[in-house]
Amino acid sequence: MGAYLVRRFLYAILTFFGITVATFTLIHSVPGDPVSFYIGRAGIASLPKSTIAAIKREYHLDEPLPVQYLYWLRGAVTLDFGRSVIDRRPVTERIFEKLPHTLQLNVAAFAIAALFGIPIGLWSAKHSGRRRERAAAVGFFLLYSLPSFWVALWLMQIFAVKLGILPLYGMVSDDYHDLDRWHRFTDRLLHFVLPVITLTYAQLAIYARFSKSALTEVIRQDFITTARAKGAGEAAVLWHHALRNALIPLITLLGLTIPYLISGSVIVETIFQWDGAGLLYYDAIAARDYPTVMGLTVATALITLLASVFADVLYAFADPRVRLGEGAR
Amino acid sequence: MWGQTWRRFRRSKLATFAVIYVGIMALIAIFAPMFSLDPDAIDLSNRLVPPNGTYPLGTDELGRDILARMIHGARVSLTIGLLATLISVVIGSTLGAIAGYYGRAADWIVSRLIEVVLCFPFLFLVLGIVALFRPSLTTIMIALGLTSWTNEARYVRGEFLRIREAEFAQAARASGARDARIIFRHLLPNAIAPVIVSASFGVAWAILVESSLSFLGLGVPLPTASWGSILSDAKSQIEYAWWLILFPGLAIFTTVAAFNVIGERFRDALDPRSD
Repeated sequence: MGAYLVRRFLYAILTFFGITVATFTLIHSVPGDPVSFYIGRAGIASLPKSTIAAIKREYHLDEPLPVQYLYWLRGAVTLDFGRSVIDRRPVTERIFEKLPHTLQLNVAAFAIAALFGIPIGLWSAKHSGRRRERAAAVGFFLLYSLPSFWVALWLMQIFAVKLGILPLYGMVSDDYHDLDRWHRFTDRLLHFVLPVITLTYAQLAIYARFSKSALTEVIRQDFITTARAKGAGEAAVLWHHALRNALIPLITLLGLTIPYLISGSVIVETIFQWDGAGLLYYDAIAARDYPTVMGLTVATALITLLASVFADVLYAFADPRVRLGEGAR
Repeated sequence: MWGQTWRRFRRSKLATFAVIYVGIMALIAIFAPMFSLDPDAIDLSNRLVPPNGTYPLGTDELGRDILARMIHGARVSLTIGLLATLISVVIGSTLGAIAGYYGRAADWIVSRLIEVVLCFPFLFLVLGIVALFRPSLTTIMIALGLTSWTNEARYVRGEFLRIREAEFAQAARASGARDARIIFRHLLPNAIAPVIVSASFGVAWAILVESSLSFLGLGVPLPTASWGSILSDAKSQIEYAWWLILFPGLAIFTTVAAFNVIGERFRDALDPRSD
């Protein structure tokens, strides 16, 4: 177990360096004056030569690229990504300000998707091959192919424009500060509904499919036959023997879906003007705010990395084959 | 093997229909220039016309014919979907083959590379590359290709690990074939089936991402018509021009679903247990 964990963490550190090298290389291969990377395009024209020289010194821009990378990396390992070119505030501060908003959306979406998706997967595994189950499978498959921005447009059109029962976009209403506590709560809740639905439906399909196939895989195995042979009831087999073992691959799925969730946040937050990390990234790209783009890219990749390490550790605890080194590779 | 797979494939009506649907889409895209419809012709006297005899799918706020724009959009979506997937299949198969065939250091490096790429939120990377370099068809294809090869690489690596010591590979080696020949002539054709499945899902994915980028205004540059950009224009007309939202979205959805259904059915048809 110890050796496995140590190796997993060493690989994670290596992967983190890979992430920083990839991000740095990518951003620095964008054509343009490197000074404008740090102070923005608007700033550069109005500045005297001496100031630009000072900026170059400050950001080590007169050094060769690999040295620049090391300076940037020194900041990155302590989560210091410099200052935004838009408002000169530290990038990290901006990220930590928006990230909770993105988390709120995604945790809600994840909880709903898992809560409904896993039981649906159970049901599908139990009725596998029957007509109703096959129809449901096709339905979920189609759901998964629906573009999220299109769904969002319909939801806005129906619930906000036509029926007028839910807010069109934003996190709170304009008059939020004049409301009492109860109405503030309901106001926030109402603003959650449409973005969460948009994030949830595709995930629901993924969870249903994945838990179905995990469960079907388990049901085929010998110990299930043994349980049946010794006379355990069908319900006991499914709930007690099969589900427990099928939950293990679900842990991995959790780690794997995080980058997709963050990706989805860009679309959903931009459409619903949700003030989170996805919208921050979109705005940073549009404004060519390179420090923020680099910071957010590394930060989100780091979140994914930590989640996958966490999932692997959980997996190791749950599955003795991994822990004892048999399936470690 | 292929004949049997195809027979199993055809057993699903939905999948057969999906193949026909994609075929029709492809024909429309190929012969688009022969329909004398101009996707960019502005006609301010016919703004926001609902679907009627002259304009079967209506017009947008500049009086452009939505049918013409949709046909052009099919060209954009299918071109990007197919070429981006081709790029990712080439990169993924090559890296996967090298990792699986040589093992050891090569395998280690490719595996670490896959880990790094998988950590990035996909859309962040694509959005960043496309918007910062210059939004164009080529940039989108390259960005998609460079970021979505990991599945293909994993499948090919896995297959190669399984078959590299098979008798036919040993026979080729014994008869003095060079590594490149063994990899490309003998092993790759035997590892291609899961790649085709993955490529079918890949096309669906690429079309979805391209339309998302265009919808966000960071994809194919305006005024080029793509399904995503028609929807993006429709955002401001959401209250009354339902046809601007319905048709392009339906086109994206059905095309993506068709490629997904094909991939899914093909995977099942390849699995001998499905009989």
